[in-house]
Amino acid sequence: MNPPIFEYFAPTGIDEVIDILAKYPGEAKILAGGQSLIPLLKSRISSIPYLVSLSEVKGLSYVDEGKEGVRIGAMTVDSDLENSELIRKRFPLLHDATGQLADPLVRNVGTIGGNLSHADPANDLPAVMIALDARFAVRGRNGSREINARDFFLDTFTTAMEPEEVLTEVTIPFWGKKSGGAYVKFKKNTWNFSVAAVAVQLELEGNKCTRAHIATTSVSPKSGRMESAENILVGKALTDEVINKAASEVAASAQPTTDPYGTEEYKREILRRITREAIRKALSRAGVN
Amino acid sequence: MVSKKHISITVNGEVKETEVEPRMLLAHFLREVAGLTGTHIGCDTTNCGACTVIMDGKAVKSCTILAVQANGKKILTIEGLSKGREKLHPVQQSFVDKHGLQCGYCTSGMILTSYWLLKNRKNVTEEEIRAAISGNLCRCTGYDNIVESIKDASKKMEEEGDPIEEHPEIKVRA
Amino acid sequence: MELSEKLVRGEGRFVDDIQMPGMLYLGFARSQYARAKILKITGAQLTHREVNFEVVEVGEGATEGGPAALSHPVLAGEYVGYVGQPIAAVYSDDRYVAEDLIDSVEVEYEPLKAIVDPEESLKREGMYPGIKSNAIVDRYFGKDFNPDPSDIVVERRLINRRVATNPIEPRGIVAAYDGHKLTVWVSTQSAHSIKEGLSEALKMEPDRIRVVQVDTGGAFGLKGGLFPEYVVACYLAMKEKRPVKWIETRREHLLASRPGRGVVANLRLYAKKDGTITGLKGDVIVDNGAFTGGSGEFSPMFIARQLAGAYKLPNAYVRAVSALTNKAPQGPYRGAGRPEAMYFIERLMDGLADKLKMDPVELRLINAAKETYTSPLGMQVEKSREFLESAIKELNYEKYKGRENVGFAFLILYHATAGGESARIKVEEGRLKVWTGGNAHGQRHDIFIKTLLKEELGVPEDLVDAMKGDTDQLADGVGAWGSRSSMVLSSAVIVAARKIKEQVEKKHGKYTLKALLEGNWDEYEFFKYDKTESSLGANLVTADIDSYGRVMVKECLSYYDAGRVLDPDNARGQNAGGAVQGIGQTLSEELSFDEDGLPLITSISDAGVLSADLVPKFGIKFYKSESPLPSKAKGLGEAPTIGVPIALSRAIELATGKLILETPIRPEYILPEERA
Ligand SMILES: Cc1cc2nc3c(=O)[nH]c(=O)nc-3n(C[C@H](O)[C@H](O)[C@H](O)COP(=O)(O)OP(=O)(O)OC[C@H]3O[C@@H](n4cnc5c(N)ncnc54)[C@H](O)[C@@H]3O)c2cc1C
Ligand code: FES
Ligand code: FES
Repeated sequence: MNPPIFEYFAPTGIDEVIDILAKYPGEAKILAGGQSLIPLLKSRISSIPYLVSLSEVKGLSYVDEGKEGVRIGAMTVDSDLENSELIRKRFPLLHDATGQLADPLVRNVGTIGGNLSHADPANDLPAVMIALDARFAVRGRNGSREINARDFFLDTFTTAMEPEEVLTEVTIPFWGKKSGGAYVKFKKNTWNFSVAAVAVQLELEGNKCTRAHIATTSVSPKSGRMESAENILVGKALTDEVINKAASEVAASAQPTTDPYGTEEYKREILRRITREAIRKALSRAGVN
Repeated sequence: MVSKKHISITVNGEVKETEVEPRMLLAHFLREVAGLTGTHIGCDTTNCGACTVIMDGKAVKSCTILAVQANGKKILTIEGLSKGREKLHPVQQSFVDKHGLQCGYCTSGMILTSYWLLKNRKNVTEEEIRAAISGNLCRCTGYDNIVESIKDASKKMEEEGDPIEEHPEIKVRA
Repeated sequence: MELSEKLVRGEGRFVDDIQMPGMLYLGFARSQYARAKILKITGAQLTHREVNFEVVEVGEGATEGGPAALSHPVLAGEYVGYVGQPIAAVYSDDRYVAEDLIDSVEVEYEPLKAIVDPEESLKREGMYPGIKSNAIVDRYFGKDFNPDPSDIVVERRLINRRVATNPIEPRGIVAAYDGHKLTVWVSTQSAHSIKEGLSEALKMEPDRIRVVQVDTGGAFGLKGGLFPEYVVACYLAMKEKRPVKWIETRREHLLASRPGRGVVANLRLYAKKDGTITGLKGDVIVDNGAFTGGSGEFSPMFIARQLAGAYKLPNAYVRAVSALTNKAPQGPYRGAGRPEAMYFIERLMDGLADKLKMDPVELRLINAAKETYTSPLGMQVEKSREFLESAIKELNYEKYKGRENVGFAFLILYHATAGGESARIKVEEGRLKVWTGGNAHGQRHDIFIKTLLKEELGVPEDLVDAMKGDTDQLADGVGAWGSRSSMVLSSAVIVAARKIKEQVEKKHGKYTLKALLEGNWDEYEFFKYDKTESSLGANLVTADIDSYGRVMVKECLSYYDAGRVLDPDNARGQNAGGAVQGIGQTLSEELSFDEDGLPLITSISDAGVLSADLVPKFGIKFYKSESPLPSKAKGLGEAPTIGVPIALSRAIELATGKLILETPIRPEYILPEERA
């Protein structure tokens, strides 16, 4: 199966990219790694008349350590994140996710910008970025603006970006000294995406949890924070009882649906168990056993 | 009519310049424009890896890359591994020696993914091998002999080196 | 160049590699509905009106024609019977444009209520006008009997769901016509079977058709026969006098090829309190799909007949049914009836062992046939006790006995030796060319052909060319399936070689290699064989289940009677490949449908084909024996797809404490419970 016809542009400047997007509102789309877009075109489920590639725009692929956090260029491919020592040390949650995302060859091409902009609730990086409290730099005709990860995902395949806007950079802020995170993904044998996955990032003082972010993959129309569950953790020492309660709350407040990946009930149960595992892992990475 | 695009891709060290429709997949460019049919196609959902090639030093699935996206890039296909040499590349030789193929359809992709792995890792473990080829499906071998081939190739590459190193234009980035 | 070397250089020649000047790419608009009446088609280049042919049954398990009304139309007529059924054809000299044309075909349907479940189908109205019952096969095997009231009964409803064959190379054909002769290049297990099918479908004299096999990227039963798409490709090549290519997409493969399994059994096994089995009753129902021309006219009978397994079964009465459903026709998939039959009897044996609180292998030993006999269901069961004793030893069962995660399978593999096979050896310019009737699609016949010719004629391996199938080079042939090639194909090669040797002796007084290579010789042999041979096998599998219900296969060991093992490396590869398919069938592989018959699976990964990180290393040992055939070999290709699902299901049953009655096992079903 092969793509339908489209026009292709590969400008060298980001402003030209934005100009082309603005010229064909709703009809033009960015092509990053193409690992979501090209399979979609090949399936002929949808057609996109104009593709604007970011491949010729220089300087969009980097992982830099700044004062307040790590800055990642939108065209950085998953395998560069997976192999980044900096990410592994500072954000094991992101390292967990990139190592399990798709397969090694897809990870050599798929980009962080594409993974997020695609806003597929089955993609792994939205939940990860929400849990890490990342900020996205988005550039349009009137310059750049910043959107918080938790405000970025509006619905399945829908983001807070305007059609002519481009995601250029992701900033993940450093968390406190005593913090840790984990991503636990449950796949149904060979299936492409997960039955459920969960991202947990915690910060502690002594053995008390002071900050907790939990976000899920594949079990809601969009990835978002699970605040009711987070509230169960914050202010408490994370005993088994507290962890179990939070995990049950995540399972109860998610919105999975029955589909070939499993029944709604099954997905909730899996989600409960992986959330429990993720909190425990995050806790131990924060240095609490 | 959409406008064709001029592209220039270095395939196995040779520059191929031509006009293509933007929608042409790199896999079809290699097979039908460059005439290199060793790159196979086995699915339409980016799962099987029969189409694997090395692009700018990384193993990628050529069925999910547009030929226009590969403009200016260096591609290594299965034909390039032993190009101009009578002797097989050590990875190819290991697949022959250890029966790493049956029907041979997944083989080009398996060999190129293995080559990419071995360029990046020394002393690979069985677990690393199995993870590295997890995006390449084989329906015939049950993988045992493929894993053995890759272990053997790892040894051969240590001992004999990589003949492709002599050809910087098709060198894989380690 | 040697085949392996060609393939690792990327110099194999698969069907999609063929380019010809003026070639047309063919594409198909396919049904969106599982069952509907077609009201109107617009935008098509070819429809039923022009291409009014049907596909007649060929390939493995072919029987003499089913009810004519149910033959698969090449392009749909008044009705469509499954999602993916070809309705109209389009073509262009550009493969991308051909796909655009598919999108421009519009079909108006009147949807009808789909029949999805085979058992339900038997209670429903006929699928097509004029058809009273949806059972296209309904036969009894054995003789009814009255079980002893004091017997123990184990009753089970067992299911092997549909799976796709999924060779990594999909189906494909190139057809060309010179005004008189039609030549096709095809990815196949049997060039002769394609030729025969084309001749019947197109009503053309056989000598005007030449079928050439190209390198074939796996088949697993799928590529034994003819398909509607192939007939259209040939029709178009003749109509346009231009070469025509059709290459299946994976999506098309999952929708509209010929998937395997899809069998339900409701069975009762009777036994005495000491474990001796006394009888078997029940039914076997095959999910046939919407047309004949697959394997559904044959598979329920074949399954029913094998249900004694490798045991002494005194009484049996089994009904074998094939029911129409709104799905693609069932086809042979590696094992083709053998894995189903053994799964059913072996799961019953495990159930019986549990009921009697006996060790399951002990129970098998009690019931293993002490002498060769013909079971009441009609198959000859070879004496199997000796083999089983040896298997217990070689697989070290004593070490595993009583463990909570071990499964054991005992199987009999019936080889499709009946029908024999052909071979031709031609000596010319100092080299030997060998054509055979069965065409390898990954089993590497080339390797054993060279071994045998070295033995028979002393010819060095590098002077032998194992040729692809070609109906112009070989008068007749059968096909490569049913674990038969190492038996009948190799025997044909041996007999042909001996004939040549005789010729050389006749001419030169004695045989020398020099005389052979300096002369011109050409011998054809159709090695006739009427008997269905069999061999025994055993598998031992251990598996662990984690707290999420994920199954990790730890050990997967085979012990097979492969007769004389012609090529041990290849045998190991065949075993591992089959074992991964067996694990796939048990854990992940399924073509599922919703209640309207709409397929839920659209990618090879969702179809459950396992990757290297999900499977273990495999082990195999061989039982020493010889077959009565000249090659002394016995088949093995299908043994792991038979034994592994059985042993793995049992291992999971013990590890989870849940009865395993279906493949694939749903992850939901084995999710370990947690006490709050
Ligand atoms: C076999 C397979 C398995 C996969 N498994 C997983 C998995 O397990 N987990 C997972 O998370 N993903 C998975 N994916 C998806 C993969 O990660 C994609 O790479 C990713 O979703 C998209 O990244 P891309 O760079 O390829 O984007 P593209 O496909 O190029 O683009 C995706 C979308 O984002 C838009 N876009 C891209 N970049 C930008 C930008 N900078 N600014 C604005 N819009 C932009 C595009 O217009 C498009 O709509 C899988 C894909 C495949 C083929
Ligand atoms: S053909 Fe590229 S992944 Fe299957
Ligand atoms: S050797 Fe046939 S698919 Fe791998």
